[in-house]
Amino acid sequence: MSAICLLHSSCVGVVVAAERRKNGGKRRGAGKARRFQIQSNTREQRPGFLKGRSVPGKALLTRSPDPPTSYHRSFSENDAGRNDHLENPLEEEVEDHSSSQKHDNTYAGKLRSSSSGKMMVQQVQNVNIGVRSSDYGRVMKFNKVLSDTTVILDRREAVLRRKRLEYLESVGQFYDLPDSERSDDEINMLRQIAVDCPRTVPDVSFFQQAQVQKSLERILYTWAIRHPASGYVQGINDLVTPFLVIFLSEYLEGGVESWSMSDLSSERISDVEADCYWCLTKLLDGMQDHYTFAQPGIQRLVFKLKELVRRIDEPVARHMEEQGLEFLQFAFRWYNCLLIREILYSIINRLWDTYLAEGDALPDFLVYIYASFLLTWSDELKKLDFQEMVMFLQHLPTQTWADQELEMVLSRAYMWHSMFNNSPNHLAS
Amino acid sequence: MATYTADDDYDFLYKVVLIGDSGVGKSNLLSRFTRNEFSLESKSTIGVEFATRTIHVDDKIVKAQIWDTAGQERYRAITSAYYRGAVGALLVYDVTRHVTFENVERWLKELRDHTDANIVIMLVGNKADLRHLRAVSTEDATAFAEREKTFFMETSALEALNVEDAFTQLLSQIYRVASKKALDVGDDDRSGVPKGQNVNVGSKGDVSEVKKIGCCSS
Repeated sequence: MSAICLLHSSCVGVVVAAERRKNGGKRRGAGKARRFQIQSNTREQRPGFLKGRSVPGKALLTRSPDPPTSYHRSFSENDAGRNDHLENPLEEEVEDHSSSQKHDNTYAGKLRSSSSGKMMVQQVQNVNIGVRSSDYGRVMKFNKVLSDTTVILDRREAVLRRKRLEYLESVGQFYDLPDSERSDDEINMLRQIAVDCPRTVPDVSFFQQAQVQKSLERILYTWAIRHPASGYVQGINDLVTPFLVIFLSEYLEGGVESWSMSDLSSERISDVEADCYWCLTKLLDGMQDHYTFAQPGIQRLVFKLKELVRRIDEPVARHMEEQGLEFLQFAFRWYNCLLIREILYSIINRLWDTYLAEGDALPDFLVYIYASFLLTWSDELKKLDFQEMVMFLQHLPTQTWADQELEMVLSRAYMWHSMFNNSPNHLAS
Repeated sequence: MATYTADDDYDFLYKVVLIGDSGVGKSNLLSRFTRNEFSLESKSTIGVEFATRTIHVDDKIVKAQIWDTAGQERYRAITSAYYRGAVGALLVYDVTRHVTFENVERWLKELRDHTDANIVIMLVGNKADLRHLRAVSTEDATAFAEREKTFFMETSALEALNVEDAFTQLLSQIYRVASKKALDVGDDDRSGVPKGQNVNVGSKGDVSEVKKIGCCSS
């Protein structure tokens, strides 16, 4: 049971067996989430990624919505039903090269980080963006959950080393080349990435540092070359940044604004880049068709979003339709950049927690998150005409949002997901 | 359902698209024109974004509904959907990056494949303030524009140079083309102007005309 708590909230740290299991882990985040666990030396990052998991979305199904502070909660039957994911033995975790049949042994993975729990508790205070006191509670809770079982850490290190080496080799093979050895398409792609790197989170000055830009460029270009079906698509540059911040927070003190990449050795930077690369790869694994020609994955989800909104809030849906507003006109960017453009950068980590926890099930779950997000302004939208709506949706008033507002969105998304996802007929118009 | 507030008082509504390679300054041209703002920290446009502004052409109030599109090729399938019904286009390149000028030809084809043959096109060489970095000469661009029968102007969104002029000229020209077509075809339903793009709300505009000048032409 408690693993679900982790499933929906933890997702921290470094990708381990990510790539190898490309075809594995069907549905639910279980199999995936594990790969984002904490390695023993990343405990300082943990609070940043875990913060804000205070409203247990699923708990809302069986309980009235508590004020978002309770850490001792019960979970619904839904959660219990997923325990079958948790029974695989620990040993499968790391060295599973066969990809598909062994999936979802999340719990085992989770446990690996437990031994460091005590130290973690002492170190939570000092984190990157906006730590809240509630992180302490969460860490305690995880610590408690985790401390019951033993952990095998030795293999993780080896895998991590191997993945980092693989990244380094890819960079050497694809990025560190003279343009004369690149195809026209590759030159174009590199040029596009170079245009976008300076425009990545431009309001946080840290990202303007030359070294950061270089790292971004290497990660993005390497990713693009290794994912030729899509290549680099604008917006993916945004998606890598939460990983970068989290991984760097392990080595750099103070707030992001005060960080300097020059404080890090090139080896360290390379490791961080590799970790970001694999995390980005993992995040986008189930969403390749969001970025291929004509972006069919996004179009499909935009359509689903429209259907879902119609089911949940017919008056708004009707109003939007009457005004001639198409969902693609605003929701395209949401899916393309996973909402990173719509909310403050300081609360993005909370959103990333959920994304990573959902794993392969993420694309479908995005529909619920975005329906919930949109309908936050149900009343406002109904008062606006076409033009006002487009403008409003392009610049949503989320500047004052903190984790709590985001959690309300996520909680409602979980609730609607449980109500509708397994009853598609509800969504038929 | 839409109630007519002052913002809805206009004689003509023209849909205009902003296209061109990534990073040439389309979004800043738009924000300069519609809000008189410029940002060095702007993010890439994903899909399309939208803004409007109302100006006066002759004695008419013309409202421009401007769709700013993402420059990357991958977005072409999404953004080209927005070409439909456009009566004007600003095709932007960056005078400091020659490759963005080379691609103008492809953009033109893209436009002509997806829009009405009468679309008014303005070629815009942006970032003209970066004089020391110039890579595309005014002469080359002028020659190209003449050959392709488009209008042409060099602008700087940063210095607010010619931005107003570029949009105003485009809209005036659209207005002229539309009026001429309306005359040619006569008054029947099939005025040559694409349906739904050219909305005449008649006398509604008169009342708030003065107010409009105050708020929109700063």
